[in-house]
Amino acid sequence: MEIDPVTNGNADAIMTESAPTITPPTTTPVPSSRLSQLTESLKLEHQLLRVPFEHYKKTIRTNHRFFEKEVSSVVSGVGDLADSDWSRDDTVARLSSLVSRLQGLKRKLEEGSNVENLQAQRCRARIDHLESADVENLTEWNNTKLKRILDLVDIDIFREAKKVIDALKNREVASALTWCADNKTRLKKSKSKFEFQLRLQEFIELVRAESYNQAILYGRKHVAPWGATHMKELQHVVATLAFKSTTECTKYKGLFELRQWDVLVHQFKQEFCKLYGMTMEPLLNIYLQAGLSALKTPYGFEEGCTKEDPLSQESFRKLALPLPYSKQHHSKLVCYISKELMDTENPPQVLPNGYVYSTKALKEMAEKNEGKVTCPRTGLVCNYTDLVKAYIS
Amino acid sequence: MELKSIKDAFDRVANKQKLSYSKTNEIVQMLSQEIEKALSIIQNSPSSPDTLLDHRSVLADVKKMFVEVAPVNQLEVAEKELNAALTKYPKVLEKQLNPDISKAYRHNVDFDTHIVNQIIANFFYRQGMFDIGDCFIAETGESECSTKRSFMEMYRILEAMKNRDLKPALKWAVSNSDKLKQARSDLELRLHSLHFLEIAQGQNSQEAINYARKNIAIFADSSLPEIQKLVCSLLWNNNLQKSPYSEFLSPALWNNAVKELTRQYCNLLGESSESPLSITVTAGTQTLPVLLKYMNVMANKKLDWQNIEQLPVAVELSEEFQFHSVFVCPVSKEQSSDDNPPMMMSCGHVLCKQTINKMSKNGSKSSFKCPYCPTDVDISRCRQLHF
Repeated sequence: MEIDPVTNGNADAIMTESAPTITPPTTTPVPSSRLSQLTESLKLEHQLLRVPFEHYKKTIRTNHRFFEKEVSSVVSGVGDLADSDWSRDDTVARLSSLVSRLQGLKRKLEEGSNVENLQAQRCRARIDHLESADVENLTEWNNTKLKRILDLVDIDIFREAKKVIDALKNREVASALTWCADNKTRLKKSKSKFEFQLRLQEFIELVRAESYNQAILYGRKHVAPWGATHMKELQHVVATLAFKSTTECTKYKGLFELRQWDVLVHQFKQEFCKLYGMTMEPLLNIYLQAGLSALKTPYGFEEGCTKEDPLSQESFRKLALPLPYSKQHHSKLVCYISKELMDTENPPQVLPNGYVYSTKALKEMAEKNEGKVTCPRTGLVCNYTDLVKAYIS
Repeated sequence: MELKSIKDAFDRVANKQKLSYSKTNEIVQMLSQEIEKALSIIQNSPSSPDTLLDHRSVLADVKKMFVEVAPVNQLEVAEKELNAALTKYPKVLEKQLNPDISKAYRHNVDFDTHIVNQIIANFFYRQGMFDIGDCFIAETGESECSTKRSFMEMYRILEAMKNRDLKPALKWAVSNSDKLKQARSDLELRLHSLHFLEIAQGQNSQEAINYARKNIAIFADSSLPEIQKLVCSLLWNNNLQKSPYSEFLSPALWNNAVKELTRQYCNLLGESSESPLSITVTAGTQTLPVLLKYMNVMANKKLDWQNIEQLPVAVELSEEFQFHSVFVCPVSKEQSSDDNPPMMMSCGHVLCKQTINKMSKNGSKSSFKCPYCPTDVDISRCRQLHF
């Protein structure tokens, strides 16, 4: 996961802007292959819908938990008051404070619901955006898609992550622990041991600082509860008490390495992405890998490769180098002159020297040159009538 | 995929959220009303110690009422319904969409961030998003893109064309005239023609004729019919709409000129006419579903995905991604190469050299039957093709 630095342009706005392109009813039938291709490509958009939803869900849950707590505390406040012997004035004062507390609650409820509604709107805008994709405006839609991959739509979510990552890089676990507490139930459900690892790291830091007593106290309180499920690791780490941070024992040396913090960062990224239903890898890389492989042919690396092929560019060639080549089941012939596909509509014609061009391009050339065609690669001139059709199956 | 079921599931969530909100609102309202009521009763009762109305009995009433109404329980019920919807929606998403598109990702391939950043910056510039490009360069600490200046110039020309000002475009086309001819582009003539038509539409036939003599006549070798049409249109100068030449009024003429200019400009820069990044990502969008499907089917079979040399499945990209001729021998299913070139038989059918060798038993037979038609193929008459 990369924190994309580009903050300009709210991609959600881009999406809603381009969404309502109303295409006029068309009479030409759309080939079903393109339609199914579109449907298939829409299926790739899980993350686009999932991420804002997880955000929305989190807001709803937090709000709800807060209000439930407040309401129950008001109710029990009244109950306590009824059961106690307060004077009339005291009772009035306490009731008044409950009233103002409820007023504050009302305001918070309003605010909370506004945030929820905004987030719901965002989720809906995304669904509408997918719905707006259509064979007719596919090019435009694909462009928007690229923009949103680059612009990184869910920037606020990444800010949350960045805070924790920065803290971890500064060797502070506090914000990561807070994050764990916030998402406790879900982490538990997915059997995550991220919190355990944070605790172990803190333990190791105490040992490093040679505060052994503190380490033991800390271990009792925060590490021991994980014993039931992760005994082996626990023993391994607690045994560091017997070593100093300068130990040469390979088994324990590793635990003291500062690299462990990078491991924690990596683990956090993993947990975080899982929670939001995101892929660990940047979307752009996933699409680039697939696209480069599909476009990678031996021809792309040749000297005179057409500039239209992305693989004619040095930077794309470098990226594609470790990737597999594409595979073809069927011949696809592109006319050297017109760059058009040669198929049954525009069949390939063979010159006496074995060079092949499309009928359309050769015919056009012959019409302009009194029935003669010139091979653009060898300079051979011959009559249009000397050409033979090739059958490619 | 059913977008409708996704929408429905989301509507359910939004609905339950609204319900839960109004329930909470209602409860908070009710609590504060009751407490305020009790408060005013207590405050308004005379404050002598022997009053009949004991404030504690008022409080007891409120407490009793709260116990009966059980506001916390009510909230829990509302939450339960909301929770059900909240849990269901991601499940619908997972079912209808592809929950993990990184399955077909090679994890041992690390893209050089520096190259990717350069590609992204270049993309912003070529889309004319110069501010974003600059900001991106600044924030990633990349060095300035060499292409920025050229793309700025291109957008200046295109912007002028949008305002029907052809001068910058013509200036560029004329100074690159030779290169355009080499690329077999008729851009220069197209721009001159547009300019000619603009003058003619301004009801100035004489000037239009002068312009044509000076700038258009030189293209007679290659494009005589086009020039004839163009000049003839002068006869209907006043009413081009109802003339045989109404096509000259079409805005498509301008749009195509803009497209051709972009194409040629980029080509001369050594760039493709479409952004290479968007081509690759769009190709990726078409490829990923095929790869993911394959990975799902092959989930149990051992496949060394990280080290294969060629994709295990063929991906049919749309036509616009076909940049090279690929010949696959219909018999051996192998792609042709320098060592194994395509050969045409006397009947016009094409096979790979190795296949032909095999069919002729390595030349020990002087003829064999074409696998696609009844022709007896004479090996000496097979010839190599160049696509």
